[in-house]
Amino acid sequence: QIYQWMTQIQKNYSELVTQHILGKTFENRTMYYLQISQPSNKTKKIIWMDCGIHAREWISPAFCQWFVKEILQNYKTDPKISRFLQNLDFYVLPVLNIDGYIYSWEEDRFWRKSRSPHENGTCYGTDLNRNFNSSWGSVGVSFNCSSDIFCGSGPESEPETRAVAQFIKNKKSDILCYLTIHSYGQLILTPYGSTTTPPSNNEELMQVAKEAAAALTGKYGTSYKVGSTALILYSNSGSSRDWAHTIGIPLSYTFELRDTGTHGFVLPADQIQPTCAETM
Amino acid sequence: IPESGHKYYLQFSTEDYRTGEDAGNCLATVLFPKKKSRPVVSIKCSHTKDQKKIQEEDNKIYQWIRHQSKPITANNIPDSYGNIEPALEPVWALAVAGSSSIMWEKSTETLGYFLAQVKSVRQWMRKDDFIEFDYTVLLHEMPTQEIISCHMRLTWLPGQPLKVKHFCAPQGPGAEPGSGAESGSAAGPSAEKGASF
Repeated sequence: QIYQWMTQIQKNYSELVTQHILGKTFENRTMYYLQISQPSNKTKKIIWMDCGIHAREWISPAFCQWFVKEILQNYKTDPKISRFLQNLDFYVLPVLNIDGYIYSWEEDRFWRKSRSPHENGTCYGTDLNRNFNSSWGSVGVSFNCSSDIFCGSGPESEPETRAVAQFIKNKKSDILCYLTIHSYGQLILTPYGSTTTPPSNNEELMQVAKEAAAALTGKYGTSYKVGSTALILYSNSGSSRDWAHTIGIPLSYTFELRDTGTHGFVLPADQIQPTCAETM
Repeated sequence: IPESGHKYYLQFSTEDYRTGEDAGNCLATVLFPKKKSRPVVSIKCSHTKDQKKIQEEDNKIYQWIRHQSKPITANNIPDSYGNIEPALEPVWALAVAGSSSIMWEKSTETLGYFLAQVKSVRQWMRKDDFIEFDYTVLLHEMPTQEIISCHMRLTWLPGQPLKVKHFCAPQGPGAEPGSGAESGSAAGPSAEKGASF
């Protein structure tokens, strides 16, 4: 259905939106991203956002879809959005872990990883957010393929990871901000997960994140905590956010959307709209 | 604390699970002894909710369950889309309270839990006044991200501590070292929290 939606969006907003191929998943499904770009003669910086790296976090792809819709429906009338688009391009990957996402709809609501087989097909899936080349395999992972935080057979061992990493590496000098959307927890996480040593631009990272959190709370009162993963969540390595920062993207964040555990992964439909609206 | 273990001093606020209303503040200390035994907890809370009101709500739920014509059974609360049928809310509420007892026993200095979903519930009819349910609950374990399936037998009479017996499926090779099958009865002090639930 999301494939159909992307085609529709490109059709309806062709002056702004182009759909591109990023790569393929393990089960050979095509990964598409949407480029939202107002034609102009100056080269613009890029904000990248991916959703659905963890299959069971359904609010995340919902948010990517919402975000795209909001931007496109309001760019002519909302001064903030039109200003954004004058200066920035948005690249949105609505579902990074397509295989896992489909599996969570059809087989196991709480599936998290990809669907690549390991150990002769005795277990499935790599945690794509432990598979990036940032202190890979050092902390907060498991080398056991049945674990939900299995980091894969090596950094970027998974086709989905490679597809994203390759693309971002190629464009990195133009990417200003890397965002990856998860649930749950109501957190804005900054690098790093593998160490408590702060990144070089920590002050800037924190300031921007705090302003984002304040704006978010301003909408419906939902409170978000801000900080580095290692300090406010748990240690992990191989995350996409850490990797994006280490290759030089200055602003790199993980968003953990609603809620804080009451529903957890099974967020009710009536919370989709407010979650998306406030995160906007 | 050298030679002894790690001691944590906590100050936190509580809120009603369903409504989010403020439910009081607590001060606690938690000592994790160096030798892997259960943590030592001391806790004191202020309760903002009126005891009478709590009793009334407990009784409402109790009466509702008692007046059902058939034993209650259900699956997937909430469902994949986060929905909880209003008629099943009391059953879910009991599961939340009961699972908190499981989480109390399972949590360690490095492992924490959330209730992800009630996979199934079946009521056992009793000749006395007690209400009894058999649950399968799914707990989300952090930071391992695993989903743990636990079987829970819950017995309740308003005004008395919730009685919970549980057995969680042993984790596969991906588990933390030293974990094993546990069965527990939480009829002890921890269940007092369940009394006004």
